[in-house]
Amino acid sequence: MAIQIRNKIPAEIPTASMADIAFLLIIFFMLTSVYSSNYGLEYGLPKNEDPINVQPLESMHIHITGPGQFTIDKRPATLEQIAAYIDSKLKQNPKKPVIIQTDPDVPYYATIQMLDLCKQLRVENVSIPTNSEVAMWAGFAGGVTSK
Amino acid sequence: MKRLRVRRVDAVIPTASMADIAFLLIIFFMLTTSFSPVKMSVDLAEAANREEVEKLAAIIAIGPNGDIEISDGLQPGNKVNNLDELDIFIKEVLATDPTKQFIIKADKNIHYGAFNALYEKLRSNNCRRIALLTEAKPEAPR
Repeated sequence: MAIQIRNKIPAEIPTASMADIAFLLIIFFMLTSVYSSNYGLEYGLPKNEDPINVQPLESMHIHITGPGQFTIDKRPATLEQIAAYIDSKLKQNPKKPVIIQTDPDVPYYATIQMLDLCKQLRVENVSIPTNSEVAMWAGFAGGVTSK
Repeated sequence: MKRLRVRRVDAVIPTASMADIAFLLIIFFMLTTSFSPVKMSVDLAEAANREEVEKLAAIIAIGPNGDIEISDGLQPGNKVNNLDELDIFIKEVLATDPTKQFIIKADKNIHYGAFNALYEKLRSNNCRRIALLTEAKPEAPR
């Protein structure tokens, strides 16, 4: 009796197109993803009911009047000069506050630049007054002299 | 005379591991991509001293033309047409969580006055924590 030979078909999962599918998925993710920066400068705001605890005469007053145009305690200065000035004042009093006042038509990055400088110099108290606070604060609006 | 037999080797590019490489790339992209609910594209200001902002914080984006887009961190971003709508949004967010952080994603070239308008709204609503989104400052060449 003749033995029947079975034609065995090997079990296979076709994977030839797997790479194509995977690359299509990569392209899809790359096109639909929106990359975002998750880093920034954190800034704590005072409570509204808190009394104003930054006294103009006790603080360093930085006024930004234009891109790259700064005054510190009414004296025009460059970023490097401001850094040196703040550093020297902080050595005398590490808790000395810094007030950053920016004119409304100045580009926003100038304020960030100054806030970044204060963070680098480890200034503990940085105050950014709103424009209405600046207008209200008569002594502040007229400029500040440092002790 | 004997004829020399030349052995022919088939030219094959091995593609068996291609799918593995592609899937590894997908996993890499999925893990490193962070999705932002606010899709507005802005040119961020540069800063050297940066901290990681809170995840799921509320986001307020100000575009180069002064357009404002908002998101509570969960829902996709919506455009606001005026400062009153922005005020309502801030009130709603702070009503659910008074300590919620607000991320401000502002274009670096907007006027400070535009930022100040938003800043005043946050202050008047007793917001306690904000983060000003920045880009890494490229290191100066040595």
